[in-house]
Amino acid sequence: MNTTTGTQPAPARGGNWPQTLVGLGVLLTGLGLGWGAMGISSDAGYSGIGPNFFPWMCAIVLTICGGWILWEARTGGFREMDEEGAPADPPYWTGFVWVSAGLLLNAALITSLGFILSCALCYLLAVQGLRRANGQPIANAPRTWITDVLIGLAISAPVFWAFTKFLAINLPGLTDSGWL
Amino acid sequence: MDIFNALLHGFAQAITVSNLLWCLVGCALGTAVGVLPGIGPAVAVAMLLPITGKVDVTASMIFFAGIYYGAMYGGSTTSILLNTPGETASMVTAMEGNKMAKSGRAGAALATAAIGSFVAGTIATVIVTLFAPYVADFAVKLGPPEYFMLMLLAFTTVSAVLGKSTLRGMTALFIGLAVGCVGLDQISGQGRYVGNIPELLDGIEIVLVAVGLFAVAEVLYAVLFEGRVVESQNRLSRVHMTPRDWKRSIGAWLRGTAIGTPFGCIPAGGTEIPTFLSYAAEKKLVRDPQDKAEFGTTGAIEGVAGPEAANNATVTAALIPLLTLGIPTSNTTAILLGAFQNYGIQPGPQLFTTSAALVWALIASLYIGNVMLLVLNLPMVGLWVKLLKIPKPQLYAGILIFATVGAYGMRQSAFDLFLLYAIGVLGVIMRRFDFPTAPVVVGMILGPLAEAQLRNALSIGEGSPIVFLQRPMSLALIIIVLAVLILPRVAKRMSERKLARLQQLDA
Repeated sequence: MNTTTGTQPAPARGGNWPQTLVGLGVLLTGLGLGWGAMGISSDAGYSGIGPNFFPWMCAIVLTICGGWILWEARTGGFREMDEEGAPADPPYWTGFVWVSAGLLLNAALITSLGFILSCALCYLLAVQGLRRANGQPIANAPRTWITDVLIGLAISAPVFWAFTKFLAINLPGLTDSGWL
Repeated sequence: MDIFNALLHGFAQAITVSNLLWCLVGCALGTAVGVLPGIGPAVAVAMLLPITGKVDVTASMIFFAGIYYGAMYGGSTTSILLNTPGETASMVTAMEGNKMAKSGRAGAALATAAIGSFVAGTIATVIVTLFAPYVADFAVKLGPPEYFMLMLLAFTTVSAVLGKSTLRGMTALFIGLAVGCVGLDQISGQGRYVGNIPELLDGIEIVLVAVGLFAVAEVLYAVLFEGRVVESQNRLSRVHMTPRDWKRSIGAWLRGTAIGTPFGCIPAGGTEIPTFLSYAAEKKLVRDPQDKAEFGTTGAIEGVAGPEAANNATVTAALIPLLTLGIPTSNTTAILLGAFQNYGIQPGPQLFTTSAALVWALIASLYIGNVMLLVLNLPMVGLWVKLLKIPKPQLYAGILIFATVGAYGMRQSAFDLFLLYAIGVLGVIMRRFDFPTAPVVVGMILGPLAEAQLRNALSIGEGSPIVFLQRPMSLALIIIVLAVLILPRVAKRMSERKLARLQQLDA
């Protein structure tokens, strides 16, 4: 995924690197599943197939599919692929990093910061990334940052209260008051 | 008469103040997620699955059914007014509907879509009411071999037939099946693919996979590839149909319903085929040359009315295989099945006897929901259109907050949020390289059930797979599976050959 993606149509001969990586990924998943399946008991009982049958089946089929995808990628690209639907612009990695940071920080901090603050942070980083992807020059203005923080809080706080108070779903709070 | 009595009981259950309120909230929420780009009914239901821990089963199933239904109504609004259809189900509606809107007839297109959805939804609900109990009676006679074959049929159609590439469909299906293997094996109780992570012993939650693949992946995809996509919105005109519009629509609604219902009933899923079939039928059946000229130019009302009715009929009738066989045929029905499982209820033939009150209340709520949605969508359509004004960055970032509630609320584990991100990245790769996602969800939910049925079936046959050939129903299903796999390919090969021959003649 980190090389130039398929912005140009795949060359008639030779390989398409992003597609090759996808094929390799599937192949490795298949092999990994096979490796994991070796540790599962084969105690079959009456049926003749044990708990390891489905894992082995998935491993074998995915290995074959991975190999096949790899072959397609190396011989002119994926077949029956709708190139019209494929995005024309190169991917905007900066925005991806912003949104990823939001999601991962949220995962790391939710138990210590509490749902409201952690989600507001996630919202802030994600919306900043999306604004940049959108080419909005105002993304960096202090005013935009403040609005984004406030909107993040204005969404996450009522969501927190609605889910914890009305639906009694446990979400982590910063304090034990149940309101923050 | 039994059915009628049962249905009346169902209405009595559904028309309590709180259940009506759940239905209304579900329908409104469903319309909203249908209208909004970025989230569909599957992910909306998935994000709200944690409520199954607290809310009574009847109320939550009525609520989820409202979302499921409402999204179909809302989806047509977006596809008519915007250039981008929200989901495959409304792709066909977008073709003519968008053209009608461009030529100033958005109101008529919205009206025929809403009324058509109501007509088709109601007729299909009547069919569910009348036939589901019989299908359930019949399904009681099926044993593990037949069930396994039915599930195999569902797997085959969802992966090999619906997508563009069988290879990528199969890959997606087996990824789903592999995800379904994680956790404790339900027959022997042995841990599989759990490593040293205790969280994995319970398996991977459906919520995580659905929310990750659909919501998080959607946001990541949008930031990577769609930041600068400019959408033009068509102007909304008065929601009104002329007598001539009515005349042209009624036939199309009924034909769409007739095409859509059977497709929903069979465990073969997907709304693409019935909606396209209905569109093709309408295009062919138009007699009036003036109406015919509207197709593909200014937009023909039949081309909205038919597919929209077919879509709703399919979606409603898909509840028959879900409730009577426990076989989901789409993302959303797969997640509804997950909701039942959260209550410890396994949909299947016994559902109509063991949980009769629940099933009939659910069916009654479909009738009520349809009426509510007609009211919500016709006079109030202007309100929903306002939702399209929410800027994309804020909308998508907001979706992430709801995704967190769904993923975290299920098990209160921060580990799940990391997993959610990983699944989101997987979803982006799948979307970029044109892998279908429905097989992952269906494979993951149906996989463990299919495995149990397979092992039970082989136990009956004392370890011999001949058992699948010895029982007439199971043999018939094997033949159907093979036909589903082979016939489309033969047909394609033949039409290619025919085309080649014609080209030779031309040359």
